[in-house]
Amino acid sequence: MDGLTGFLDRNECLHALTTSIADAQASAPALAVLWVGIDRFRQINASFGHRAGDNVLAQLAYRLRSRAKVGDRLARIGGDEFVVLLPDSHPSLSTAAAERILSVLSEPLEIGDVRIRPSASVGIALAQAGEAPESLLERADRAMVIAKELGGSQYVNSGDERQAGRSGNLLAREELAIEEQLHEALEMGGLSLNYQPILNTRDGGIEALEALMRCNVRGQAISPAHFIPVAEKTGLIVRLGEWTLLTAARLVDRLALEGRQVKVAVNVSRAQLTAPKFKQTLYAVLACSDVSPASLELELTESLFMDMSTVVRNNLDAALEAGFPLAIDDFGTGYSCLAYLKDLPARKLKLDRAFIVGLPEDKKSFAIVRTVTQLARDLGMTVVAEGVETQAQYDSLCAAGVDAIQGFLLCRPLTEPALDTWLQGRQG
Amino acid sequence: METAEFETQLLASIRQIGIPPRPVILEKIALEMRRDEPDLITLARIISADVSISGSLLKVVNSPYFGYRTKARTVQDALTMLGLANTASTIATIVLRNVLPPMPAMERFWDASARVAEISGWLAQEIGRKDGVRSEDAYTFSLFRDCGIPIMMRKFPQYIETLAIANADTERAFTEVEESRHPTNHAVVGSLLGQSWWLPENTCQAIRHHHDFVSIRAGAGALSPTVRRLIALSQLAERIDQEMTGQNQSCEWHKMGEACLELLDLSAADLPALQAGASELMRGHAP
Repeated sequence: MDGLTGFLDRNECLHALTTSIADAQASAPALAVLWVGIDRFRQINASFGHRAGDNVLAQLAYRLRSRAKVGDRLARIGGDEFVVLLPDSHPSLSTAAAERILSVLSEPLEIGDVRIRPSASVGIALAQAGEAPESLLERADRAMVIAKELGGSQYVNSGDERQAGRSGNLLAREELAIEEQLHEALEMGGLSLNYQPILNTRDGGIEALEALMRCNVRGQAISPAHFIPVAEKTGLIVRLGEWTLLTAARLVDRLALEGRQVKVAVNVSRAQLTAPKFKQTLYAVLACSDVSPASLELELTESLFMDMSTVVRNNLDAALEAGFPLAIDDFGTGYSCLAYLKDLPARKLKLDRAFIVGLPEDKKSFAIVRTVTQLARDLGMTVVAEGVETQAQYDSLCAAGVDAIQGFLLCRPLTEPALDTWLQGRQG
Repeated sequence: METAEFETQLLASIRQIGIPPRPVILEKIALEMRRDEPDLITLARIISADVSISGSLLKVVNSPYFGYRTKARTVQDALTMLGLANTASTIATIVLRNVLPPMPAMERFWDASARVAEISGWLAQEIGRKDGVRSEDAYTFSLFRDCGIPIMMRKFPQYIETLAIANADTERAFTEVEESRHPTNHAVVGSLLGQSWWLPENTCQAIRHHHDFVSIRAGAGALSPTVRRLIALSQLAERIDQEMTGQNQSCEWHKMGEACLELLDLSAADLPALQAGASELMRGHAP
């Protein structure tokens, strides 16, 4: 038995489920499992401490019990997750029960003199003939997770997930945590951009600033190496990308007001280019700011071109028509197809750091860099080398004819205030 | 002052009027919310520092369309009742009108937005809470719903005409009409603005899709139930307001009404009673 709530614990729950499944099969009617997760419970714990958190759980458990019907079984499965077993259930009964649970759990609650409004997410699974208890629980859990992903305060029936939400990709638990943090960042101002200068080899002037997304939730920075893949998997990258475009546009605007004409390069993902209303979003950025599109460069990764759908192509054409310059990012890492260099009106090519790292000793890398640079120039493109860390690399790249350099050697990515200082320093 | 310098400053001020930057107070609140353990007292102090904002905040929180039984006496009360994120959204609705480009003849637009927002908030409790939509969510969304319109007006001189055409179109979606004349539409612009103001994601999604009569139909899986309900409540509120005031007749209800009613589990027969209730609400706190 669970000490805090008096509910069944996980093992007892499985046992009860096994018995109920047997009963259900004997007398035909269905058995439903409702997996109840308290929304954002972590925040309650974080804001008010664990003792208050336990108190909240106990109160919520009391509410669940007080609304339970005879025969319902209640279990506490994880810290903030409960399971309700409904014997003799069918779809409309189980959804009605879920609605009741959502409503009773969302009544305001006092913690000391603070009043909060809790909410919950419910996943519903109806037992299928011959289904193992573990599988039934797992389906209910998964449906609950989807309900949370949809913003919480709702229920999702197992089997309806696809309809209710996105296309299926189930995430690992830690990825889910990152996804939740990304949602939090989007709503609580946890996103910011850092800017890494790209400098001309000719005169050291600023070719552009590359905008790099940063995510910070509850005082904790999440590495882009962790959150970008999750954002791409979940489709959240589209919203993050839109946010980035407008934020970068505002920086260009602000710098222009201060008399600095600077171009900012923004990464655009495949998901953005295939999402509806890409073109409208670009123009919306122009409507919300006063930037000239020429000062917002869209960086596209090479992988995009391997499978260029009509939608992507049309969106790229729309971007060009609007006046946004295009750059090809990470060139040389995928199947570097020369044909698209011919077809795609990109004005800039960014050489992947893989070719830079071995310079100046690695003669093969040097040969590739020099040849690609020559080719790109003949095609009228500017060539940028990324990830430049040493003076020897820099010199070698200059010898190869590269137009501009980005990397720690010149400057790390800067926060906006640091960028201001850096810009002022260059002036003086 | 040098002429050139003066011109630069003038240009700067004109441009700044046009761009809706993130209001400083929202930035301060976001900064506090990001801390590991946000401090309500500090937050209350930040908000209270602006007398006009804190006054409006209390007025909104204590209004009948927010549906709280207890009254907030201080900003801190309001914070604990609404929670941090909701307080930030509510403050966003308060400052919105002041930061968007001022337009002649926009008074009516803002007044209508405010009425629709209040009715939406009221409807959310009246019809019953579901899909996680609270009164304050419905209120915030309805106030922000059309914030892209003043921005479109500023950017596209022909936009006033577009509005008239879109309002009269009984077939095409409102945004489709906009897109036939401009490269973007007010729903996309508004959702972008909402995102940059850190509004809840559901609110931003609802702003983006609020004319999307295909996606809100039952069985269309693209939008979450929360987003669909927000849209339906707001469209119904607008319908009720238009019936009440006889103003701003658009064709949105013609295009979306049926789907909205179905989503809200209502029938046309329920409308007169809701309308009467809304009239009473609006009379209750008429300016």
